[in-house]
Amino acid sequence: MDEARLIDGLARGDLAAFREFVETYKKKVYFLALDMVGNSADAEDVSQEVFLKVHRSFGTFKKDAKLSSWLYRVAYNACIDYMRRRALAPEPVADDVLDSPGRSEALLASSAAPADPGRAVEAAQLQARIAHALDRVSPQEKAVFLLRHYDELMLKEIAECLQLSVGSVKSYLFRAVRKLQKELGAPGAAGVEVPHD
Amino acid sequence: MISCRGSKDLMIEALYGELGPAEREEFDAHLRSCPDCAAEYSVLGATLRVMDERRRPDPGPAFWDGYWNRLAAKMGAEAAPATGRLPLAFRLRRAFEVLPRWPYQAAAGAALIVVGILIGRAVFGPGGRTPRLAGVTTARAATAVSDDPALRARRYVDRSQVLLLGLVNYDPKTQDVAGFDLAGKKAASRELAAEAADIRTSLKDPRQKRYRELVSELEVILMQIANLDAGNDLDGVELVKQGVTDKGIFLKIDLSRMGWSGPALPGPGPRTGPGASAAGGHAKDKI
Repeated sequence: MDEARLIDGLARGDLAAFREFVETYKKKVYFLALDMVGNSADAEDVSQEVFLKVHRSFGTFKKDAKLSSWLYRVAYNACIDYMRRRALAPEPVADDVLDSPGRSEALLASSAAPADPGRAVEAAQLQARIAHALDRVSPQEKAVFLLRHYDELMLKEIAECLQLSVGSVKSYLFRAVRKLQKELGAPGAAGVEVPHD
Repeated sequence: MISCRGSKDLMIEALYGELGPAEREEFDAHLRSCPDCAAEYSVLGATLRVMDERRRPDPGPAFWDGYWNRLAAKMGAEAAPATGRLPLAFRLRRAFEVLPRWPYQAAAGAALIVVGILIGRAVFGPGGRTPRLAGVTTARAATAVSDDPALRARRYVDRSQVLLLGLVNYDPKTQDVAGFDLAGKKAASRELAAEAADIRTSLKDPRQKRYRELVSELEVILMQIANLDAGNDLDGVELVKQGVTDKGIFLKIDLSRMGWSGPALPGPGPRTGPGASAAGGHAKDKI
């Protein structure tokens, strides 16, 4: 279904069109939420909240806008809302024991781990360092970086999604990359191997 | 020729290949004449290549296959009857929500008694005794009378564990495939998976975050089981067993019990994973 027909279907409240829309964008929304909120259970809840919001309030979509840009904006706002709510909630303290596999181990288990255990550990450590570096970036810088680097949106599209000027997007992105570089250390140093093309 | 400041203005577009040919030429010319900007460009480029190595854990096909159904269930739950555009399934769901609950609760109670008798026969019959299932039966029977989210979550985990043990301990080389009852396990998994979203939603306390995650992981595995091919999909069963092992599900379940803050279950709690049966061969647990 092309975008115009999809928009038309969504505007009419057509459930088949909505399902098509969900199937098309569920992975993008879920992974953006996962990157922003940091765990899979909450990422699913946030991503589903995004689609529920789309379903409830598609009337606010302007037909001359790009559907994916609007969706990213809804998703970004939902992530920020979630993070604000989480910041207000007390930190979990009672069940640290269940924190068993740390993020690096979880990533090691879930990704295609190399057969060599030594390399697997190195790969897991790299993933942990990357995750840690991303945690040091502000939510807005992180969102801009994620959208550009992993979702491959152009700077203009990101500006449209987040309702920012292109200059601001460039600024956030530049700051994000610099912070990541600081956190990851000099390429090639202490465990940060720079892959060669 | 652009200045260092101009070069920094173009740095991000250059890194992401968004410069036009003329700007790119100017930018490259500046880098050739300015070692500082060239070094910064090189270091930031290397940082982005490190970030390319990032892996995001994919929850797997069963998660994606069930995504729409879980979303549709939420839509149905929140849909208002006044819209007039709700699908039939949502209207039926809504209708059931407003009907008195006691007939369903009574029917559920009767069904649980029947299930309890059947499980009792299976457990204490000639097929072998497995005392820990008695606790689970009690837990099942008690489910209908408790709304405590922590207790519900614990029972959910217990029931899932028993089901997974039955699957993980099954060895097609030594056990009759007919007795394995994959169809029954699929149905039980589907039923459990359908409860997961509700249980997760009910665990609102921030301290229960890990339990929410455990329930979420169990849901994914249960949906994998529920979506196994009709008949005896032993290859699929092996994949599920591998997933359970790789994700350390039984360890997480055991750890969840160590940190459990909810009320105690009546009767002896079921314990641990496939390691329990390793010394004495494969357990004969059946669901």
